[in-house]
Amino acid sequence: MRFLALLRKELRESLPWMLLTAIVFLAIGGFSLREAHLYGMYDWSERYFSSRYISETYGLLYRHSPLQVIGPVLLLTSLGLGLVLGVRHFWIPYFTRTWPFLIHRSVDRTTIFWAKLAAAIITFLISLGAVWAAFYSYSCHPERFTMLPIKRVFIEGWLFIALGLVVYLGTALTGLSTARWYTTRIFGLAFATVIICATIFEWRLGWAFAAIIIGAAILLSQINDTISNREF
Amino acid sequence: MTETVLETEGLTKYYGSTLAVDHLDLKIPQGCICGFVGRNGAGKTTAIKLMLGLLRPTAGSSRLLGCDSAALTPAIRQRIGYVTEGHRLFRWMSIAELEKFQRSFFPKQWDDKFFADMIEYFNLPKKRKIKNLSNGERAQVSLALALAPNPELLIMDDPTLGLDAAIRRQFLEGMIELIMRQGRTVLFSSHILGDVERVSDRIVVIDKGVLRANCSLEEFRAAVKKVILSFADSTPAEVDIEGLLHCRRSENELELILIGPADEQIGKWADKNGAEKYHIVKMNLEDQFIEYTAPANHRRLFRWEET
Repeated sequence: MRFLALLRKELRESLPWMLLTAIVFLAIGGFSLREAHLYGMYDWSERYFSSRYISETYGLLYRHSPLQVIGPVLLLTSLGLGLVLGVRHFWIPYFTRTWPFLIHRSVDRTTIFWAKLAAAIITFLISLGAVWAAFYSYSCHPERFTMLPIKRVFIEGWLFIALGLVVYLGTALTGLSTARWYTTRIFGLAFATVIICATIFEWRLGWAFAAIIIGAAILLSQINDTISNREF
Repeated sequence: MTETVLETEGLTKYYGSTLAVDHLDLKIPQGCICGFVGRNGAGKTTAIKLMLGLLRPTAGSSRLLGCDSAALTPAIRQRIGYVTEGHRLFRWMSIAELEKFQRSFFPKQWDDKFFADMIEYFNLPKKRKIKNLSNGERAQVSLALALAPNPELLIMDDPTLGLDAAIRRQFLEGMIELIMRQGRTVLFSSHILGDVERVSDRIVVIDKGVLRANCSLEEFRAAVKKVILSFADSTPAEVDIEGLLHCRRSENELELILIGPADEQIGKWADKNGAEKYHIVKMNLEDQFIEYTAPANHRRLFRWEET
């Protein structure tokens, strides 16, 4: 009941960003699909055929895919959403001085954090995950497109969504830290950036997901420690 | 035996090299209304946050309802109401939403009727958003939210700051509602001494992080005295009366701020030092507080005040 109350609050605070992201992604993605449907695919450079990294593989895999333009848009909106939600959940309460009101209640501090994280995951799932799945299923119809997207494209989309969550965790850690910017405070965002690079330039999906999981676990343990000991 | 609900031992807090709270040893018994007073920057908010475990002490410890403040369990927190400084609430919520949110954390204790009565008493529409409320109205909502779970201990950080006289009175009456519930303890910080005088039965004075007084309000009122002595010629060179805090001289008058001595002692000293007459000036709590916490080399801000 307490967790649900916290979750409802966090979801309500995330709602404007959830809607905005969904609308932006839907609009750009929808426009791209329409263009692809009406005028066919873009002809991407041949160099993508010799790709070693996922970022380049995207070009290859999307070359004949109606989802070709949506991938980078998904990546950018996911990273942007992670940053914005992290700021909303962990920085804004500091500026509005609502942390003490939130923290002094009959729940553990970690429960407050888990509610925020759960709200962020739901926000990602609805605003990006659901729209991404809808795009995929739309582009899988042979009547609409001659070349259908392969499953790997769909999975990579989820990888990009997961990267957004890593950015969210990085922003959370930096937001919660009371250290100086040029010392350990920047660690959260810097580490998230490292994970993004490690994932995007990794060709093997399994390794990419492993990098995300390990990175997220490190950030989670740091956040858990910080929120438990931080002064509000 | 009266139980101690709040206890600090050598509680100390540094912000960098700035000492905010200095070895605070405090005991607040159950069932009292304690005014926690101090000037701006005296360390009231820091002390309160340390007591609530929102800040970590540099040294010392604090216990609330028998539990270490650094490890307050959710069950203990449920028994403690807290009104934050500036009444910072979630601005996007309406009063009704905030009530629902707050109620979730006190499933067994929450008093719906009490909350509704208080909101009605303050004449606040439940549908109104917090962001559309004035400072005073937010204070009223804040108080209602803190009182509705019927906490054993209510801690309020400068709750009447920035409120006009009428709303302050309403606020204090709301607080008295809680006091009327048997055995409840209230600790509220304030620098409005009139408020403290109106509702408190105990006073804690903190100055530059140091505890200066922790006693009943009557004791404090009786202890701090201002005496004006008139002399025929010049005033005595040395003033050696017991409990002397401040001594101000004019041509043939001596103004003494004393702590503690009985009226008879003052009379004896006056006779011994050849005072023509003396009288003990009746001070209100605000004057007593200002004199009590004034530094030894205190001087008037404007020279014309001394004429």
